[in-house]
Amino acid sequence: MFAGGAALGAVAMMAGERTLLPHSATAGDALVPPHRPRLAPLHPRVDQITDLKVCIRPFRAAGPRLDVERIGDKTIFHNYGHGGSGWSLSWGSANLVVGNVAATLHRKVAVIGCGIVGLTSALTAQRAGFDVTIYTRDLLPHTRSVRANGSWTPDSRIALTQTAGPAFADQWEQMARFSWATYRTYLGLPGAPIMFEDNYILSDKPFDDRPAPPPPAGAPGTMPRATEDFATYESRIRDIVPAVEDIPDAENPFAAPHARRHSLMIYNFGAYGHLLLSEFHQAGGRIVIREFHTPHDLASLPEKAIINCPGYAAREWWRDDSLIPVRGQTAWLPPRPEAPYGLDYRGAALLSKTDGVMIQAVDLDGLGEMTGVGNSFEHPDPAEAARAIGVFADLFARMPMVGG
Amino acid sequence: MTMRQAILFTLIALLPGIASARPAAEATHGADLYRAACAMCHGPTLEGNFQTPALTGRFVANWAGAPVAELESYVHRAMPLMAPGTLSPEDTRAIVAFLLQANGLAQGGTIRRVHPS
Repeated sequence: MFAGGAALGAVAMMAGERTLLPHSATAGDALVPPHRPRLAPLHPRVDQITDLKVCIRPFRAAGPRLDVERIGDKTIFHNYGHGGSGWSLSWGSANLVVGNVAATLHRKVAVIGCGIVGLTSALTAQRAGFDVTIYTRDLLPHTRSVRANGSWTPDSRIALTQTAGPAFADQWEQMARFSWATYRTYLGLPGAPIMFEDNYILSDKPFDDRPAPPPPAGAPGTMPRATEDFATYESRIRDIVPAVEDIPDAENPFAAPHARRHSLMIYNFGAYGHLLLSEFHQAGGRIVIREFHTPHDLASLPEKAIINCPGYAAREWWRDDSLIPVRGQTAWLPPRPEAPYGLDYRGAALLSKTDGVMIQAVDLDGLGEMTGVGNSFEHPDPAEAARAIGVFADLFARMPMVGG
Repeated sequence: MTMRQAILFTLIALLPGIASARPAAEATHGADLYRAACAMCHGPTLEGNFQTPALTGRFVANWAGAPVAELESYVHRAMPLMAPGTLSPEDTRAIVAFLLQANGLAQGGTIRRVHPS
């Protein structure tokens, strides 16, 4: 038995692997659980940071703005205010909006903004037969969109349950299903623009599966008061999204006593962003770099149908005070393709992506969904990054390994 | 040159100086305000970075031809990003005066170059 264990270790060393053992296992265990995850450890350090990115989620209590407005001879189709769900709902939201545009019988469409919502709106309009021009002050890599973490989070601060009402829940489901199906068409492509990876949810305490407590009494209006005010709709699409499963103790490779796993869809910004921009150009789309100062500037555009996708900039560009900033920050470390998994632990999140290891302080201070609400400070906070990295540095420092 | 002519000449020569004394002082005050309220993101020399736009170059192209009042209105309602609306109208005017001066743009009226090429 001992010899067998040593041989296993030797093979792992020869392969250059550092494999994590279940935390309860000892060297020489003969019975290897059939589904024990074999994970290369990540030892994130502050001195490996390659970038700190700050995003401002454009949150609206009533959900994204998708209504239609007329200014002079222009018809404006709004598509902004998707909170922390812009990437995830982008295709479904674009599908709803372009459907409305199609009913106007215009052939030429202008799209304002080239974040993920603008770009998917433009592509969706092209696919519906429109001649599309994007007017934007920045291309995707410079927009706030690419400061997100880039994973499937379709109901992350998308609305307040009460303020948005039941009709929005139905609309959300339609958007989420359409987006999910569209994202699936980008799986399995060179460069992995979209992929699934195992995401581990770790906890020091047993998971609390009791239903969420009720929200505070009274109506929240336009400002969230507590985590419970935020809408959660994901149970509506559990038939298509892989379920979370408990990992038995014997199969838990982590130095945290409780672990769960699910398959998480992630968006690799580099590959995916370039692919979308290429598709737009290949289909004859044009991009005009332009900054608008007031809605009346739109009068100078040749197109009569305009899809407005400014994201958080709607606050100053469309004077929309219903947009509430929700700050988020991601730290990026060099890519670790040999460790393709994600972690959630002690209020921090880690995702191993093709363009880097992303580490985010999701909720380090126990504020839940209220973290970052009302905060539009778009400047990096190195101390916050260090705390989030520290969560995982500490986790891996406690992990037993073989082959190392 | 008579004495009267000399006085007139001196007055005319001084007039632009008198006219620009206030904006120049305002721009100097604006530079101080910029360092305190804006430089953290836009950079000490207005250079910006990957996430934050520079306030030179494309900034000039974006605003050329617009009324200065429109730029003031934008800065007042949108900046600083973490606390929009907290700059007083006077401070906003001073910061804009500094931005115009730093970019070689004329003060007041329409945003345009001091010496059109």
